Amino acid sequence: MNPVLADIYSTILPSAPFVIAAYALLWVALLVFVLMIMRGIKKSEAQVVVLEEALEDLKEKQA
Amino acid sequence: MTDKKPCKLPEAGQWPDRIAPWVLLCGIALSTAGFLMAFLFAGPVSGASVDGVELIGGQMISNKLLISQKIFYFHMPVAIVSFVALAFGAYYCVRFLITKNQRFDTCARVAFEIALLFVVATMITGDLWTRFEWGVWWTWEPRLTTYLILMLIVIAYFVLRNAIEEPERRATYAAVIGIIAFVDVPICYMVTRLIPSSIHPVVLREGGMSGDMAATLVVCLLGMLCVGFALYRLRFRQVRVTERVEALKQSIEEMEER
Repeated sequence: MNPVLADIYSTILPSAPFVIAAYALLWVALLVFVLMIMRGIKKSEAQVVVLEEALEDLKEKQA
Repeated sequence: MTDKKPCKLPEAGQWPDRIAPWVLLCGIALSTAGFLMAFLFAGPVSGASVDGVELIGGQMISNKLLISQKIFYFHMPVAIVSFVALAFGAYYCVRFLITKNQRFDTCARVAFEIALLFVVATMITGDLWTRFEWGVWWTWEPRLTTYLILMLIVIAYFVLRNAIEEPERRATYAAVIGIIAFVDVPICYMVTRLIPSSIHPVVLREGGMSGDMAATLVVCLLGMLCVGFALYRLRFRQVRVTERVEALKQSIEEMEER
């Protein structure tokens, strides 16, 4: 390879793992947070439905 | 006689929650576009000069090309979003101290969670750039040090919350820590301007950016702001649903005891 070109591109390959890691870790952190929230919302909403039904049953029994 | 206007409380299920999934999609689309623009549209930044000159893409190049600078297009937006989240958190802390309403404490907590997420993202992206460009994982440079202090205060906010059981006392102390965290934001932002010896790059001080770089940065910033807003609303909704679960459990227990 042309030595001038090799010098111009000399930092590209050594820096690539850092650039890739920065973007990957950023997106993984955000994705994990979104998945945790979605899972939490789903679980809690399912619990709300069950508990509301249980509360209604109790009210009917006590009426 | 003056009638005190009832304080309007933030609630889940309102219009911000209805648009939150769309805002999240918009944020994903914008940040994906920003990612592509960073590598395909924004020109590379030049580093140290080389012995000679070459024609690359119609331009005469006589410097090393720095791809590590591409981290900046996401590093700065996530840092800005962390500041915005801290500003919202501090606002809700003040509202809590004025009204003593727990809802504002909940809003502040969620805002600080989002702030912590983006602070950690800023630290990760910044640290990887530092490792390559400066050759070290950490240096006690003013911007890094003030941002580390900011991160530690935000962590302290959650440590304190877990240490106090009584809700009102916990919320009051947390609100004070939250406001202290926000005080560090302008210090952190201005420190590179106040201390000229700082080696942290300051884009606006160093002659600004070219149009392609600025456009890429704006797209990434808008994308990250959308993602930050959507995450705040989704997390707030989750917390409110969890609070409803607790309230329902308590009602059932009370009814069973009767």
